[in-house]
Amino acid sequence: MQSNPLFEQTVTALLGGRIICEYSCSDLYNYLSLPNHQQQVADFLQQMNRTLRQTSSQDAWLCAYNELNAPEAKAAVRQQFRDATTHLEALVQFLRLHMMVEASQRPIAPGEEVREGHLLERISSAPSLEAKLRSLTTKQPFKTTRTDSAGQIRMVMTRLVEDGYLKQVGTSGSVYQATAKWSWLYDLMTFIKTHEGIRDDSDEEDSQMRLA
Amino acid sequence: MARTHDAQSTLRVLTTHAEAILDAHLNQGNRIPATDDNVGMLETLEHHRLIWRLAEDEDPQLKKVLAHFLDHITESDRRRQASEHVDQLWSELNQLFVEYRETKRLAAFEDRERVEGTIKEVLSEIIEDIRTATVTFSAYITSGFSYITDIELRIRKNEEVIDQARRLSNLFDSFKIRELEDQAGNDPFLKRLLLKHLPATLEEGRRNLSYALNQLRILLVRMREDQRLSKLIGGFESHYANNRGFEPSIDDLDLAYCPPVLNTVAPFRIVSYGDIYDPADDQDLIDIAQWARPLDAQVDEPGIDAKAVSSVEFDVDGETEQEEVDPVDDLVEQLLRHLLDGDVCDGEIRALEVLANSDLDLDAATWLHTLESEIDALAPNDYDLIEVGYQSEPDPLYPDNLYILDMILRRRGDSRL
Repeated sequence: MQSNPLFEQTVTALLGGRIICEYSCSDLYNYLSLPNHQQQVADFLQQMNRTLRQTSSQDAWLCAYNELNAPEAKAAVRQQFRDATTHLEALVQFLRLHMMVEASQRPIAPGEEVREGHLLERISSAPSLEAKLRSLTTKQPFKTTRTDSAGQIRMVMTRLVEDGYLKQVGTSGSVYQATAKWSWLYDLMTFIKTHEGIRDDSDEEDSQMRLA
Repeated sequence: MARTHDAQSTLRVLTTHAEAILDAHLNQGNRIPATDDNVGMLETLEHHRLIWRLAEDEDPQLKKVLAHFLDHITESDRRRQASEHVDQLWSELNQLFVEYRETKRLAAFEDRERVEGTIKEVLSEIIEDIRTATVTFSAYITSGFSYITDIELRIRKNEEVIDQARRLSNLFDSFKIRELEDQAGNDPFLKRLLLKHLPATLEEGRRNLSYALNQLRILLVRMREDQRLSKLIGGFESHYANNRGFEPSIDDLDLAYCPPVLNTVAPFRIVSYGDIYDPADDQDLIDIAQWARPLDAQVDEPGIDAKAVSSVEFDVDGETEQEEVDPVDDLVEQLLRHLLDGDVCDGEIRALEVLANSDLDLDAATWLHTLESEIDALAPNDYDLIEVGYQSEPDPLYPDNLYILDMILRRRGDSRL
């Protein structure tokens, strides 16, 4: 039987826990866009108690357990959750910082371009943003001893690339594109919000208004 | 007689419930909500076969014939709501049609020409109005309402524009081809205007508008999602600020049912090795092995600089390799250390003199450039202590360009003390 490199790469990436989207690995994403390829991959994964899933916004593919009866699978899900939420506070801070830099009320969306130079320019000209960046770089995974904004931003960008949230584009090394891992993070945050009873920003404002 | 009586009774029912029926037609998409207040009315309407419903739990809907009738009698009103100006022009146009027929009947040719001109003018104004209205929506879509910074206001504006587009769509629907045919009669001039130009514009307008409505709805969905995520992030930020050390946990879940978002797998690494038991792979493995460990094999080969290769030694525990010092870097470092910590007092040091007194074989340009780069890379405190002067002369042709001949280094007043 002839080998299929795209099938192999797709399955390897999914089993390795990677999130496949148009921006992180376009060739694998295109491969999975055909229903018969999805079926082939799903059939293969099923034999390993795994299945193919999409994020709620349907812009990324990832691998999930087919059956969670086995204790190992449950333990793995719990461990994955712990790993994902360990750095959640820092990621939330980064998202807020990015929204403030862009003066926008929308968080990073998959496919959006993030320019290191632009971030540096805006942050350097606003002490409040510099303070936010400093605070961000005291937390893992963005922790650094660098005291200059440029070094701190570089650290943040590097870690986001390593964790699969951003992908470097072009040759300058300072332009990035957001991947659909953000969609997955937003899904996770939506679940945590409901599970932990975290209130929206507006809910808090409303209650304060009522108190006033 | 009985039939007449039934019809009169139905018309009376329509008069009695006119308000609710009109509201259902104009604002509820021909549905009448099945509420407790409406039970009596719905029973009456059902009795007169004016409404229908598929299932008991669904809101009843006005019958098609009634909807058509309402469509007919509310046309003018819908047109007025959609665009006062177009409606006004349309009324004007209807008046002009009457005048036009009258001038034809009286064979008043000059008046006929005048009215023809006015009809053309009004009609072109209507066509222009329709085009302008649809183009406005394209502008909204292109901008994505980005000129409004607050997302709540942006959503509100988007909803307003969707409402406008819907009203305009109603207006387009109110121009019935049959009505236009009636107006045109057998007159070739009116026929050309009303059955060719206006329908073509209407069709184009409808097409643009339906595209615009679709895009505006997509935009609205995206904005609402952005707003949701923005609130979500704000909520987490506040929660972390108010609950130091907060860590979400799912320890309380038994995961008998696992929410899809939590179901992510532990990384499963696929590692492969060459098959050393398959003779078919022998040659490939030999090639890989040779490529992977070339040192011993290459040392004995003639033509290879064995000295260079054998000079590389693997570290043994505790042993360190000394990195070769660059003499230029060393000289620059000595010079800067002397400037910062040595006894320079108010004196100055000329860079080229330093180079001349060293045993370095280096051209002046490289030396000066290296020195300048190293000074630029100093820590801010040290950098502030060194004053750099340049001995230069202007280019004879382009006096703004300077040739640097030497660098003069001084130490500023020692502020570190």
